[in-house]
Amino acid sequence: MDFLRPATLQQALEAKAERPAAVPIAGGTDVMVEINFDTRRPDALLDLNQVAELAEIGSDGGLLRVGACVSYARIIGELGRELPGLALASRTVGSPQIRNRGTVGGNLGAASPAGDAHPVLLACDALVEAASVRGTRLIPAAGFYQGPKRSVLAPDELITAFRIGPAMGPQQFAKIGTRNAMVIAVCSFALSLWPQGRPAGTGGTIGTGIGSAGPVPLRATDAEEFLAAELASAGLWESGVALPSTVTHTFGELVAGAARPIDDVRGTAAYRRHALSVLARRTLGWTWDSYRKGARQCA
Amino acid sequence: MTAMTGTVAAAGTVGASRTRMEGRAKVTGAARYAGEIPFADLAHGWLVASTIARGRVRSVESAPVLAMPGVLAVLHHQNAPRLEEFAGMLGPDPTIQILQNDRVPHVGWPVALVVAETSEQAREAADALVIRYDQEPHDIAFSAQHPGMYTPDDSPLLVTETGKGDIEAGLAASAVVVDEEYTTPEEHHNAMEPHAAMARWDSGRLEVVDSNQGPFAVAQDLAKMFSLDLASVRVRSEHVGGAFGSKGLTRPPVVLAVMAAIVTDRPVRVVLTRRQMFSVVGYRSPTAQRVRLGADTDGRLRAFDHQAASLTSTIHEFVESSAGIGRVMYDADAHHTSHRVVRLDVPTPSWMRAPGEAPGSFALESAIDELAHKCGMDPIALRARNEPAVGPVSGLPFSSRNVLGCFEEGARRFGWADRDPRPGAAREGRWLLGTGTAAATYPARVAPSTAAVTAEADGTFTVRITAVDLGTGARTALTQIAADALEVELDRIQVKIADSDFGQAMIAGGSMGTRSWALAITAAATELRAQLALPGDIPSDGITARSDTAEAIGALARQERHSFGAQFAEVAVDVTTGEVRVRRMLGIFAAGRVVNPLTARSQLIGGMTWGLSMALHEEAIRDQASGAHVNADLAGYHFASNADVPVIEVDWVDDPDTHDPTGIKGLGEIGIVGAAAAIANAVWHATGVRHRDLPIRPDRVLLAGSRGC
Repeated sequence: MDFLRPATLQQALEAKAERPAAVPIAGGTDVMVEINFDTRRPDALLDLNQVAELAEIGSDGGLLRVGACVSYARIIGELGRELPGLALASRTVGSPQIRNRGTVGGNLGAASPAGDAHPVLLACDALVEAASVRGTRLIPAAGFYQGPKRSVLAPDELITAFRIGPAMGPQQFAKIGTRNAMVIAVCSFALSLWPQGRPAGTGGTIGTGIGSAGPVPLRATDAEEFLAAELASAGLWESGVALPSTVTHTFGELVAGAARPIDDVRGTAAYRRHALSVLARRTLGWTWDSYRKGARQCA
Repeated sequence: MTAMTGTVAAAGTVGASRTRMEGRAKVTGAARYAGEIPFADLAHGWLVASTIARGRVRSVESAPVLAMPGVLAVLHHQNAPRLEEFAGMLGPDPTIQILQNDRVPHVGWPVALVVAETSEQAREAADALVIRYDQEPHDIAFSAQHPGMYTPDDSPLLVTETGKGDIEAGLAASAVVVDEEYTTPEEHHNAMEPHAAMARWDSGRLEVVDSNQGPFAVAQDLAKMFSLDLASVRVRSEHVGGAFGSKGLTRPPVVLAVMAAIVTDRPVRVVLTRRQMFSVVGYRSPTAQRVRLGADTDGRLRAFDHQAASLTSTIHEFVESSAGIGRVMYDADAHHTSHRVVRLDVPTPSWMRAPGEAPGSFALESAIDELAHKCGMDPIALRARNEPAVGPVSGLPFSSRNVLGCFEEGARRFGWADRDPRPGAAREGRWLLGTGTAAATYPARVAPSTAAVTAEADGTFTVRITAVDLGTGARTALTQIAADALEVELDRIQVKIADSDFGQAMIAGGSMGTRSWALAITAAATELRAQLALPGDIPSDGITARSDTAEAIGALARQERHSFGAQFAEVAVDVTTGEVRVRRMLGIFAAGRVVNPLTARSQLIGGMTWGLSMALHEEAIRDQASGAHVNADLAGYHFASNADVPVIEVDWVDDPDTHDPTGIKGLGEIGIVGAAAAIANAVWHATGVRHRDLPIRPDRVLLAGSRGC
C-alpha cells in the first residue's frame, strides 16, 4: 500500500487524477477501521493532513466555507454560533479523541447513511465542494448521496469543503443510540427553521434531515412543506403562539413516513420509524420554543 | 487488630488509602506489558482462526505463504509439536489442546499459527493463508427448551443440584407465587490489554512472559503439556491490564508462543486481536433461568426454586453456576436449585466477573422484587423477613453476615424511606422515574499459597509471592499487609510478584487473591520476626523465612463465608423512545476487612458500572447461518461509555470476620452482583413494566410499553 502525502491542494488533485483508486484519508476514523478489519485494502492512501487549504474556515458570499479537513472539535469550538445544528451533531460523534481527528469531509467521503453530519447538511441545504484537476463544482447535499457508502463523487475528485448558510433561526439535532456516547446512530434527525427564508434564497422556511433510516440520508420533504404551510397560513411566525398538537403530531408522522429503514443489529425498522416521529416532534418543540423566546426578546 | 509490639512500630497501614505503587510507571508508559517488552531476535506469531462452526480441516495450503516475505513457519495440526493431555487445576482443558487434530468445534478456533520476522508480515501471511474445510451442519441456537439440555455431573467448582422439602406442595400452599423466566445474553470480558505471550529458550530453560492471572499455574500447565521439568519453566506477568477471569487459565496465545519457539528456536510473541479475544479466552454463556417463589402473604418464603440453563462447547464442559446464589441468600422449607447445560458449536465459556452470581442475581433479585410487589411489601422488608440464620442448604453458620446492615445504611443514604412504592408514579417531563434495589453476595474463599519474606542487611524487607496485579492494586495492598505484619513503614518493603520462580500461590481470581496471599505473607513475616528476635547480625544475603498456608487453611472451620451488599439505583425512562438513563447508583457492602479503601472503592465502582452495562448494553450477537459473531469488536459490542455512568457512590459497613486470621473477604466480584437487578427493578418501578430479558434495550422498553403489560 502506497502512502501519498501531497503538500498542496494542487498536488493532492494531481495525485487523485493519477491514481483515482487512492483512498483519501483525513482523520482516519472510518478508513482506518476498515483497513484494520481488512474490509478494505486500497492500493494507496492519499493523506490530506498536510494540505493547509483543506483546514481553513472562510466565507463566500452569504455562505460559510468550511474546509473538508476541519475537525468536529473545531466546528464545536469555532462555529457553534453560526452552525448550531452542525455543532450539536458534532458533539454526538464518537469520543473527544475521535472529534479531534474526525472531519465532515470524511463523513461525506464515507457517505454512510449513519454519518452524524449528514442530517444537518441536508436540513441546511449545504453544498459539497468537489474539486479535481478538471475544475471545481458544487453539489447540493440532497443530490450527493447515492446509496449506502456511495456518492456522486467522480473517481478523480476530492471533497475540498462544504458551503453552508449560517443559522438564521433555531436548529436542532437529535440522535438515538443504545448508549450515550461512542455509538453509531440507530436513527437521527436534524431540523432547521428559517423564519426569514434562506441565505441563498433557495428552499423553504423549514429544513429537515434523517439519518440512519434509509440507504442514504434523507430529507422529509412532505413534512417540511406541511409545516411551512401550517406556520404560514395560521400566521404562527408572527403570533409566536404554541404549536397546535395536531401540527406537531402530523409533522412527526410525515417524518417517520419519509424514512426507508431496515431491520439490523442496531434496531428494527418499526422502532426507527417510531423513534423518528418522536425525535421530529421533540426537535420541533425545542426549536419552536426557542423561536418564540427569541421573538419575545426582539419584541 | 495488629499487635503493636515491635520497637519500630509504625501506625497500621491496612485500612488507609494508598495510591498504586506502580501508578507513576503506568501513567508514564514505563510499565511494560507482555505484548511490548523488547527481546533480541524476536519473531511474531499470528493466530489463524477457523471460519466455520463445525467440521474438519481438509488442508492448510502453507506453501505459497511460506514464500511470502519474512515468513518463518506455518504451524498447523499436521506439523505442530504434540502436546501431552494433562489434568490441570480444574482437570483436562481441551481448549488449549490446539493444533493437535483436524476437528473444528466453533468459529474462531485456532487452526494455524503463522510465524514471521515482523508482526505485519505475520498478519499479512495469516490473512493470505488458504485453509480448506469439510464443513458439517452446526447448531448454535441456545434456549432452555433445547433437546440437548442435560444435567451435568458435580465438579470441584459446582454442586449441580440441591434440594430439600417438596417444591410443588410448597408452591400449592403459598398464598403468593412468582413463576417467571429470566434470560441474559452471551456476554464478553475484553480487558484493555489483549492476551499476549512471549516464549523463548534461555540456557535450557523455557522463559515466558504472559498476560495471565496466575503465572505459577501457567508454568505448571506448560511443563506438563510440553513434558518439561517444572524447574525449567519460568513464567512472569509483571503487569496485567485487566483480566476479569479471561486470563485465569492457560490460554491459547502462550501455548502457541511456546510451540513456535520450539519450532523456530527463536523468541516468539503471540498477541491476540480484539476480534480473536471474542473466541478463544472464554466468555459468559447466555442463561435462561426459571425462578419459582412461593410465600405467605407476610412475605415469608415457603418454596424456593431456581433452575438455571446455560450452554457450553462440544469440547469442554463449563457450567455458569447461576442458581448457586439462592443457596446463600434465602431459605424456605422447600428449597431447590439446579443447573442444566447444552453442548453447542460455540467457543467454551469460562469465568467472567462473578461467574454464576452475576446472571443469577439478575434473575433471583428481580423475582424477589416481583414477590415483594405481589405481597404489597417493601422489597427490603421482604428480604429482612427471609434472612436465614444459617446456610439454607449447608446448615453451617455464617462467619459473618451483615446484609441487613448494608440495606439499612443504603436505604438511609439513598432516601429509600421517601419512596412511593407505586410503579409509574413519578414523572419529570418526558422521563418516568423509578428506584430499585437488590441484594449482593459472593463467596469469600481462600486457597493455599506460599510466600517468602527476606530481611535484607540494609534494614529493608523483600517479599516474594506469585501474586498478580491485574490493575486492581494488589501490589499496593500486599505492601500494606507486609508492612503491618512486619510493623515497619511502607517504604522499607519491596513486594516482588508475578514470577513463577517464587513458587506456588493462588491465582488472582475468584475474589480470593488478597486473602490467600495475605495469609501467606503474614505467616512468613511472623516466622521471620521470630528469627530476627534471635541474637546475631543479618548476613549480606539477608535472612529469609518461607510460608505455606496449606495446612492452616485445611484447619479452618467449615463455615458459610461470603461478602454481602445492597445495591440501589435510580433510573429515568423515556417511554416515547424507550431510552433508559441511570441517574445514580449506590452500593453498600459488607466485605470483611478493607485493605486499601482507595483501590477497593475503584474495584466496586468498576463492578457496579459493569452491572449497568449488563443491564442496558451488553449483548453478543451470533449469526445463526455462519455461527460467527456479528459484533465481535468494541464498536458493536456495547458497554457503558463515560456519558452513561452517573454518580456512583460506594461504601462499606463493619463486617468483622473473627474466624479468619486476616479478616479479609475479597471484593473483586461483588460490585457487579445485583447491580443489573437493581436497575431492572428501578425500570419496573418507573414504568410498571417488568423486564426479564437483558439487556433492557430501547426497542424492548418500547415494545413492552406498547403491549401495555
